[in-house]
Amino acid sequence: MNGLRIFITSMGIVSPFGEGIEKNLSTLREAVPALTPLQLFPSAHVPLPVGEIPFPIPHGNLPRTHVLAMMAAEEALKEAGGPPDAVVVGTTTGGMTATEEYLKQGEKDPVLYRHHAAGSVAEAIAARFGCRGPVLTVSTACSSGTAALKIALELLRSGKARRALAGGADALCRLTYYGFHSLQLVDPGGAHPFDSGRKGMSVGEGAAMFLLTAAAAPPDGAVAELLGGALTCDAHHPAAPHPSGEGARQAMKKALADAGVLREEIDYIHLHGTGTPENDLAEGRAVRALFDGRSVPPASSLKGAWGHSLAAAGAMGAAVSALAVREGFIPPNVGIQTPDPEIPLSPMDAFQTTDVRQVLVNSFGFGGNNAVLVLGHAGNGKGPVRVRENGESIPFYVHGRSCLTGAGDTDRTLDMLSRGENLKGMVPSSDMSKHLPAKAVRRLKRLSRMVLSLGISACAGKREGNLPRAIFFGTRWGALSETHDFLAKLFETDERLSSPTDFIGSVHNAPAGQAAIHFHAPGPNITITGCNGSFEQALFSAGLLCGEDPFLLVGADEYNEHLSPLFDPEASSAERTTDGGGALYLKREKGGATSRVAPVFTGFADAGESVIRKLIAELGGAARIRERFGLILSGIPASFREQAKRQEETFLAGTDYPHPLVDYRRFVGECASASAVATVLAVLFVEKGMVPAGLCGRTPADLGGRGILILGFGRHVTALEVTPC
Amino acid sequence: MNELIEELKIKIITTLNLIDVKPEEIDIHAQLVGGDLGLDSIDVLELVMMLEEDYGVIIDTKELGMAVFASLAALAEHVHQNRSEKND
Repeated sequence: MNGLRIFITSMGIVSPFGEGIEKNLSTLREAVPALTPLQLFPSAHVPLPVGEIPFPIPHGNLPRTHVLAMMAAEEALKEAGGPPDAVVVGTTTGGMTATEEYLKQGEKDPVLYRHHAAGSVAEAIAARFGCRGPVLTVSTACSSGTAALKIALELLRSGKARRALAGGADALCRLTYYGFHSLQLVDPGGAHPFDSGRKGMSVGEGAAMFLLTAAAAPPDGAVAELLGGALTCDAHHPAAPHPSGEGARQAMKKALADAGVLREEIDYIHLHGTGTPENDLAEGRAVRALFDGRSVPPASSLKGAWGHSLAAAGAMGAAVSALAVREGFIPPNVGIQTPDPEIPLSPMDAFQTTDVRQVLVNSFGFGGNNAVLVLGHAGNGKGPVRVRENGESIPFYVHGRSCLTGAGDTDRTLDMLSRGENLKGMVPSSDMSKHLPAKAVRRLKRLSRMVLSLGISACAGKREGNLPRAIFFGTRWGALSETHDFLAKLFETDERLSSPTDFIGSVHNAPAGQAAIHFHAPGPNITITGCNGSFEQALFSAGLLCGEDPFLLVGADEYNEHLSPLFDPEASSAERTTDGGGALYLKREKGGATSRVAPVFTGFADAGESVIRKLIAELGGAARIRERFGLILSGIPASFREQAKRQEETFLAGTDYPHPLVDYRRFVGECASASAVATVLAVLFVEKGMVPAGLCGRTPADLGGRGILILGFGRHVTALEVTPC
Repeated sequence: MNELIEELKIKIITTLNLIDVKPEEIDIHAQLVGGDLGLDSIDVLELVMMLEEDYGVIIDTKELGMAVFASLAALAEHVHQNRSEKND
């Protein structure tokens, strides 16, 4: 531990108020609402009010969300002098703005869909600025931007990075515009949060990015200090908050504790305040309960001014809050006329200049995700001193595991392997829906079913009190079935009708939300998405966020006959379509465990093969790698084959690795979550101390008490260790 | 009317994927939402979409929705009164 604190060195924003911090600040002072009828695409009915960026966005090659994110990143990094060590972006739409346009036109050329993956937003930023460290994409619906900032905060506290670019971005698109409309959550008169006549939200768009720096004292021009944050889950409903606001209250309470700030020291609360009757009431109750009879500090939501920009919302709220402490003001709750007497809050009705030292920033989302940050004045000196010197990875002990492959469940998978056959193919539906009660799953499609089934199998035999309390989920593509079905219905009916159930199911974090509801898991509920290493990155994130509580780690991807051939270059090149995934039930405590996993590395490889040298160093050097691992399972995705092979050769040359190395996609198949299956198999092999015949020779191979290293190559290079204990 | 009720039973089962419910098990006077079928507000919205698509019946306020979805009998009555000719 040393004396470092985490500062917002600089930031950038693009919003319905306009581009840039200064423009947003001046519009904020005038408190001008910026909700206007939708213009971005033709609407089947009378266009609803939205928070739309009021000037043309240059498209070029990138979809709208990418461009917004890039504009905010450019501003945040304008004077950065060198690339950030990490990029963490929250987004829900990714390339959807472009994808839905092409799908509507019936385009079949996969090249057009190359920016679809949510991860391509962070990748575009990382490539533009030359980042070589972790590049993570968080998709926890409307709390994504805030969750991204919390993960970046912990990354800096862990000592694995000194400077991180983090934030959120989402552009308006049909999926979200019609999706919220189908849920009857949109106010046709425009959002006016906390008002007695409020009828719902207005969908918006925007991006906000922050350069966070770990430093002993405020760097020159620091905007604010990021004092702390917390993530919780209601584990109650896929799309509605718990009416008591208990999860939200817990998130605020934990965020204050994490920041070392007392509730009495909060001068302003930046509310989530979407304008839906349920959200505002639950949030009001949560805030009131947090202050437990004491006076509640001034509070406001800006969503009546610029709408709800989903994954960007929390980041935009954090930007406003950082300005509030720097400049000394409290923004007004734009749009409020008559405060709802049912809500125990008095939102600010006008812009007020006053000293603001500490701010609470709320952000909630589908899946019952609650994310809260605490910001402080850069000169406060209140920051907790928690940064570790050398970012070592602490292992988790494996207390349960399961996988789903083309062969079926874990037993069938092992059986198939022992017969020397591969695991390619689609997960059989009987295995996918095993253990799932009919009533609970009638609304779940392929990916959510797989994830729930994997979770239940991995936690088999765990009783109340020992169930997972947090969920970490990695998926490259998210729920493709629901996404396809939602858009297909929309386009079939000339954009008149769309399914609310499919909308809720289409968000990337829907499967993790289902798992949280099933296990009543109140802790962090994180979905990491967008690349072949999303599973490894989910474990990496768990390493940053998880304390002593047991948690469930899942990696899964589905094959969808309509969308996979368009989106996934691996799926279209594979001889056999494959899906599936794996799950681990993990704890810090050893108990009766016989194996453990450690998240070691995730790095972005666009900047060249120096990432491999860094990988070897973080694994403890060549000698340790030779000594510790009896087998390497190597991930060489088809679409990155050349780059990945070169990286693998560099790794082997740099380590003189003497034991077998096996390309796991050869027997798992080209599934985006193949690494999750490989990891579960590695756990099973390490527990037996043997690798079955056929994988690395004609006879079973003895691991000699060593572990297995799982490497992922391509645009992201990842490593995780499975070792005996 | 009976024909419409039977038709609605099947549409409810297929729209909401109630794989373990048989049409004859649905009591037409029982509470439709929050009752034995386990239906909630999201299911109501899914049925709203089905009613618009198949019968041209539009339900766009919570108050109207509460009355219409009180029971299957109430739903059938509302559809009967309000269905548009072209969708018959």
